[in-house]
Amino acid sequence: MTANIFLNGLQYLGYILIFPGFLFCFLCGMLLVGIDRKLVARMQKRVGPPILQPFYDFFKLCGKETIVPAAAERTTFLVAPIVGLAALVVIQLFIPIHGFTAFSGMADIVVILYLLLIPALAAILGAAASGSPYAGIGLSREMVTIIACELPLVLVLLAVAKTVGNALGTGLCFSMSEIAEYQLQNGSLITKLSMIPAAIAFAMVIPGETGSHPFDTAEAETEICEGMHAEYSGAPLAVFKLSHAVKVLTLTSLFVALFFGGIGTGIIAFDGVIVFALCIVATALFISFVHAVTARLKIEQVFKYYWTVVSGLALVSLVLAWYGM
Amino acid sequence: MFKKLIAESAAKSPWLFHINSGSCNGCDIELVAVLTPRYDVERLGFKLAGSPRQADIVVVTGPVTRQSLDRVLSAISQVPEPRCIVTMGSCPQSGNVFKGSYSVCAPLSKYVHVDVDIAGCAPKPEAIMDGLVKATEILKQKRGQM
Amino acid sequence: MNLANMTDYHHFPIYSVMVLFLGAFIIASTGSKPSKDPKNPAGFRAWIALCATALSLFFLGSLVKPVMLEGEIISYWMGSRAIAGGYAIGIAMEVDALSLFFALLIATAVFVSAIYSIRYMVHDECVPQYYVLYCMLAGGVLGLVLSGDIFNMFIMVEILTFAAVALTSFRTKVYGALEAAFKYLVVGCMGSTAILTGVIMLYAQYHTLNLAQLANLVPGTMNNATKLAFAFLYIGFSTKAFIVPFHPLAADAHGAAPASISVLISGVLTKSGIYGIIRLTYFLFQTMNLGSMQFMLVFIGSVSMFVCVTMALAQHDFKRLLAYHSISQIGYVLAAVGLSTSLGISAGLYHAMNHTLFKGLLFLAAGAVLHETGTTDLGKLGGLSKKMPHTTVLFLIGAFSISGVPPFNGFASKWMIYQATYQKAVESNNIGFLLVTVIALVTSTLTLASFVKVSQSVFFGQMPKEYENVKEVPFGMRLAMGILACLCIVTGLFPKTVTGVLTEPAAKAVANVGEYITAMGFKSNLPVPNVTFAKVGVWEPINWLLILCIALLALTIVAVAGKYDRVSEHGGSLGAAIEMVSGKNDQPAVNENGEVDTKYQLFYGGEKNVYSQVGGGDLFWGFKHNWRHYFDFMHDLHSGIVNDYALWAVVALALAIVYMMIVL
Repeated sequence: MTANIFLNGLQYLGYILIFPGFLFCFLCGMLLVGIDRKLVARMQKRVGPPILQPFYDFFKLCGKETIVPAAAERTTFLVAPIVGLAALVVIQLFIPIHGFTAFSGMADIVVILYLLLIPALAAILGAAASGSPYAGIGLSREMVTIIACELPLVLVLLAVAKTVGNALGTGLCFSMSEIAEYQLQNGSLITKLSMIPAAIAFAMVIPGETGSHPFDTAEAETEICEGMHAEYSGAPLAVFKLSHAVKVLTLTSLFVALFFGGIGTGIIAFDGVIVFALCIVATALFISFVHAVTARLKIEQVFKYYWTVVSGLALVSLVLAWYGM
Repeated sequence: MFKKLIAESAAKSPWLFHINSGSCNGCDIELVAVLTPRYDVERLGFKLAGSPRQADIVVVTGPVTRQSLDRVLSAISQVPEPRCIVTMGSCPQSGNVFKGSYSVCAPLSKYVHVDVDIAGCAPKPEAIMDGLVKATEILKQKRGQM
Repeated sequence: MNLANMTDYHHFPIYSVMVLFLGAFIIASTGSKPSKDPKNPAGFRAWIALCATALSLFFLGSLVKPVMLEGEIISYWMGSRAIAGGYAIGIAMEVDALSLFFALLIATAVFVSAIYSIRYMVHDECVPQYYVLYCMLAGGVLGLVLSGDIFNMFIMVEILTFAAVALTSFRTKVYGALEAAFKYLVVGCMGSTAILTGVIMLYAQYHTLNLAQLANLVPGTMNNATKLAFAFLYIGFSTKAFIVPFHPLAADAHGAAPASISVLISGVLTKSGIYGIIRLTYFLFQTMNLGSMQFMLVFIGSVSMFVCVTMALAQHDFKRLLAYHSISQIGYVLAAVGLSTSLGISAGLYHAMNHTLFKGLLFLAAGAVLHETGTTDLGKLGGLSKKMPHTTVLFLIGAFSISGVPPFNGFASKWMIYQATYQKAVESNNIGFLLVTVIALVTSTLTLASFVKVSQSVFFGQMPKEYENVKEVPFGMRLAMGILACLCIVTGLFPKTVTGVLTEPAAKAVANVGEYITAMGFKSNLPVPNVTFAKVGVWEPINWLLILCIALLALTIVAVAGKYDRVSEHGGSLGAAIEMVSGKNDQPAVNENGEVDTKYQLFYGGEKNVYSQVGGGDLFWGFKHNWRHYFDFMHDLHSGIVNDYALWAVVALALAIVYMMIVL
């Protein structure tokens, strides 16, 4: 009995620390960013950095001095990146990998939407605590980007909930694992007509949420000196870079779980690889490609783009889902 | 092991912070040239950082005018250790054609320890890359000593 | 009457109201001479007020077991005059789970605010009178929600309105206080008059003032006069809840009143309005099964939540911003209650409770800032977190709660509201309710944005020179905020317990009107409904928090193990970062000249350290730019002239009358 509890605890600890928790997030997130950088370089006819470059960056930053500005609020400044990273890794535990969810029945898609706010909020508060005016501008832009992305994300998630709910006969389905289960039996959601605009809209949200080109106004290094991270150096900055990498993984794997869920073998190891491969494809298409062909937008253009084009697509999907297509 | 890993990484991921201390813009353009597809220093892990807090290598161009001296020094002081200071072009090394002017404080080495000098007016991209690679080696050494 | 009889819990509702009025009477009769203690100018009177509120809370708290858990409805006839000839001739109190739920909220807020007042009201004149009015206000609101008699409700509305007006203008030297009180007086009196007119019209037809009896008689016999009465009563209670179109009053009143009173106006007065609307629509007229009435409440709720959150984004005063957020959150409550599903009512009540807690906390934090710095202007403040760390943490808890960040309480209730609206949309196959879900979700993000603005402009960012000597607020004020912050966290972490004990019994009481009528001794043939609270979503805050803690612990261990790297004094690893957080590795931030070393100054592109706080009004420019026409329109609309607002009230009344006549 006690041995059982102990084993269960160990299993869950393994979920949190190794797969799909910290180790998986660290390795795969960093790899995704490395692949992204390489791809962008290749698209621009450059050789580009090695794929392991993000790891080098991370370890280098860990070895650097951490400077806390005198004007900064020390505790918030240093704790914020760690809380943000932990919150992000926890989200990864709720995203199913082909029928396998580390912790199912704990958070539905609306909750995940809100859990995604916590890392962003941590970054914002850390930036605010640094006292830098560049960080002030950066956090304002980050917040506007969050507002911009929120509306299309909400519409997409509601459309997914309605579509799966219609098919299951319950009318509504918010549960992540039920969505995964449904896709296991009936094939990926992307095969439904109503889900195609939603998938496109979600794909368009990914670069905005992860803060990559052309929506990286919040960290515009050439105009506002890295924005929110203007005063961060050393290990806390390394944690922020890692958080960014994990966020890329989280969003792409959420995309895969929502729209390409039915693809897999049933063996966790293989499924992990397949999901990761799909994540790479999603990153390549929606982050690297978009990065390579666009220039940075102004913040009000970002907002307008998300609330018109992307929200429009998501709305089309929601209406289609409502009428059962 | 981690110490070695970090020292190795320090050489493989040097981020640049570029300070113009009154340069004629010739060197600045050449620095940008090394980031273009033709030379692409990003393959060595180089990246332009927007803030000195994130930089490893400070590249100073220009003859360090009196107006800019305080600002250059304060920005350099804000770069976390281990850091490496590179002067680029003849101006920050000697004052170049501005030498002797009342408004020019060059050479920079009077005020801070400079690790690498890249000579030339303006230096060729190949020379810049060579200098930057030397700077990464110094960076690795400094990291190893810490 | 013997002691055993007196301690019977059936007397507790009247006791809880009586102690407050008695407290007011005692304080008033001790004259207005302030005490010599500079830390407590009201002297023993403050303790009387505190004792009265504490006793009131105790009496109501001991009713939780019989009313909430055992489902008893306490009916109480004053002076034992009950029913004669089938008509209620006495004044009744009737406490069902709904009344008790609101009464508990009110008593909690009043108690906490009384703790806060002691140390907060030290710079003011006439503090003894403050406590008289304070107890009057509290007693009035409690009497309103516990009353079983519609005329008594009107009396209580009058008492609380006048106490609130007087307290709004309490700081007569504050710019705009008298003007705010005047606006409130004008429109508040219009509301009270509307309620009185409605009561008269009902009494003329049904010859009774008892709520239960009216609920028994009215619904089957609706004629034009009752519809008119309904419209009047509805508008009357709307002014008390400050919902659109009465929201501008709230902004002025909250901004001018002392923070401890803003808590009551926002957390208590608005709730009494919501309570009145629920009593009217669900009990008295029983119109909520009509789609048109659901539409009306949900529509007004949605408009309130969206319009007021955008208005809040445009504010540059801490307290006015909070005031608009109050109405925005009340919009959530109204929209959820208007769904007329049991989950919706439960969610709405849950949010009403959370709103009282977190908005109280936020107003107290604003009061703490005002107390220490003398201003609440977002443009003038900044960087207070270094001087007031406790207040900052407490404020952040409140800000996270109201913005719906998991795992705080605002999220738990908003999440239920999203589900309730979406379920309603699916059940009624009406895409309009889906729009409400979307508005609610977006409003939540906008709320977050405006609290990011507050934290950046007040607590983080750079500190202006004149606030170098600011200190943390006294313990008494922090205690009051701490109580509310703890409640915010607890009610967020245990949503099932909270809904099970508090909101679900109240929601059941709303659904079960028949029992409300029979408990007072009237015959009702309304069926007992079968109430379920099925939810689609899943959210286990405790488990989530546990996982987060393990993750944080793992990160901390990695960080501490990361000490391997600290070879030199500059060594910067995560381990060093942890030590810095705990303050061990304090950096030498000052050089020999007493200036901050340039290394530790902020990066300004090399320039000297200058004060360059990004102003609150300039944040979110990218958002406001796209909405500039909307904001211009809103700016023109809210003229600040009391004539306009009175006109709005008249127009709203006219519209309500027309609407009721058409749809009922």
